[in-house]
Amino acid sequence: MKVLSTRMKRLYDWIDKRYNISPLIAEAQRSINFALPSTLTRQNRSRIFWLGYPYYYAGAITLFLAILQGITGLLLAFHYVPSAVGDPGAPTQAYLSVQYIMKSVPLGALIRGVHQWGANLLVAALAIHAFWAFFRSPYRIGREISWVLGVALLGLALVYSFSGYLLPWDQLGYWAATISVQIMRAIPIFGDSIAQTLLGGTALSPVTLTRMYFYHVSLLAVVAVVLVGAHLALVVFQGVSEPEEAWKTSVNRDTQTGRQEGPLFGPFIPHQIAPVVIISLVTLGIVLLLGAFAVQVPGDPANKFLTPQFIAPEWYFLWAYGLLKWVGWVYDLARFVPPATVFGVDLVSAKVVGILIAGAMFIVLLLMPVIDRGTEVRTLRRPLKTTIVVWAIGFLSTLTLYALNEILSSMLSIPIGTMNMALGLIVIVVPLLAAAPVYMILRRNATKSASQEA
Amino acid sequence: MSEKSAGDRGKKKRPTMNRRQFVQTVVAAGIAGTILSFLSLLMSLLPSAGAGEEQGEVNNVFTYGPEKGAWYSDKSGNEVLLEDFDQVGKGAGVLWRGRIPAIVIRVDESKLRGATATNGLIAFASTCTHLCCIATWRLDRPSEDVLFCRCHDGVFDAYNVVKDVMPDGTEYLGAKVVAGPPPRAAPIIPIEVKDGKVSGVPDNLELYGYCG
Repeated sequence: MKVLSTRMKRLYDWIDKRYNISPLIAEAQRSINFALPSTLTRQNRSRIFWLGYPYYYAGAITLFLAILQGITGLLLAFHYVPSAVGDPGAPTQAYLSVQYIMKSVPLGALIRGVHQWGANLLVAALAIHAFWAFFRSPYRIGREISWVLGVALLGLALVYSFSGYLLPWDQLGYWAATISVQIMRAIPIFGDSIAQTLLGGTALSPVTLTRMYFYHVSLLAVVAVVLVGAHLALVVFQGVSEPEEAWKTSVNRDTQTGRQEGPLFGPFIPHQIAPVVIISLVTLGIVLLLGAFAVQVPGDPANKFLTPQFIAPEWYFLWAYGLLKWVGWVYDLARFVPPATVFGVDLVSAKVVGILIAGAMFIVLLLMPVIDRGTEVRTLRRPLKTTIVVWAIGFLSTLTLYALNEILSSMLSIPIGTMNMALGLIVIVVPLLAAAPVYMILRRNATKSASQEA
Repeated sequence: MSEKSAGDRGKKKRPTMNRRQFVQTVVAAGIAGTILSFLSLLMSLLPSAGAGEEQGEVNNVFTYGPEKGAWYSDKSGNEVLLEDFDQVGKGAGVLWRGRIPAIVIRVDESKLRGATATNGLIAFASTCTHLCCIATWRLDRPSEDVLFCRCHDGVFDAYNVVKDVMPDGTEYLGAKVVAGPPPRAAPIIPIEVKDGKVSGVPDNLELYGYCG
């Protein structure tokens, strides 16, 4: 050990003499320590900030999984062949190479399993991270750019998984992608041009696979590295966002710019990095177990003339799938027959309304720093904002449930009409039922504390 | 100041630019123009001319489709024969010209509205007008006379042929949408029967290109 550290020291000195890196490293250490939360809270006694606030882990887990996806993806890229040329229903090179990875490549099945489960868990961790941030309104404390980068990264993760889902060129991926492409084509005016430019045609073809593969392994990777790098760099510049209870009690903070300084917890290494390493290792263990024992094998090879019995997108796209079905149900209920076109553009058919709602949700998220201004960030002091987030979570969850209407109907042997009626009403009622009491309670608290302060 | 403006009166004031500013502007415009001209390379992302066109001689006789668990499953790829449709309600998922999925059905001609059958048969393009999944006949709903699409529960009534309009304005006849999200009827494919083989009449092929 002694020998090793002496060697390391000599190597470091050798580099330092030539390139003078000591000041850089000292500055990096200073910045990272500076970035740690500075406010005195009840957790200070442990000197390890993260212990008291487990939800802070979601971002770290997402980052760890993203790195893991990079490593496993790199290994898979050695064997995968992005070619979908062949007769419909016959295995293509892409399909065969995935089978080859599963059966012949040493540890191939495990690597693919880890890549697949890693993607699922990454989206889950990212969703927790995103919803928590949505509750916290970081754009109100000088973190507008972090927020916008975060929303872009959320979109990026979804595009990433969408492009990956198609690569095995099996029935499930093919038809999930077909529906998504047709939804993209339904975007008013620009739909066809977008589909043609991004996918090389208005329907799936071998050209589409080539492009998806390029996006998945190259273009999106570059975008991801840049966006994640910027997202993390801003944390170092501005400091880790502090727990809500500490907000506004901190004397060491500029409430306009969000910059903070002051007494530190233990230093970044080892006090703060240790729990992150531990939680990452636990995550790795879970992904390895899932990847080893629950890997999903590709279904039948893609056949463009045969839609399989059950088709469903990945779980995190079910809300969008449910939204399309639900808008159709609302139309049926209202006996509304959408006109073919409005001003020559298809604007009111169920799929266009569905895509407009989903697009509007994304744009609203992006524009939150402009829409939602003010300085109050405490969740409990913001009745309307918190209520809207609760409603949104309810809406997305119940839409996910609606997407499963056929499976639920056959499982519970309830006629599909009855099932749709029940689920359709659930989508309307449950989010409101969840949001209403939240609003009433918070509203009362807000007036109470306002009168106390007065 | 007042003297100067008095002297300038009557002349239109011209914007002035010194030589340094001129060079800066020209260089900036040149760089911007070069970058913009590179955007034209994005044209290469558009589909190439001639891609996806049919090549060689195309047979108009329908061939049986690849559905599993249907009465025609073991005939998949074979030509569709009139004699196979021996009773009313029998129908098959087929392929037309090797690329257009369709459904051929033996119908009860007295119940059929809006169109006439050929030798008791009628055919519809089975690509759903909603999001381009392939609808089936009696695989999911064995007791009903409908074309059913699994993706979003679209239902087309095979016995009720109505007039409809494509987004490009083409009028056509098709199986009426009776439930679910499809925006348009499923287009009919005219049939002719020769030597016992059932084939489609390619009068208006563009009509069936609505899914790209």
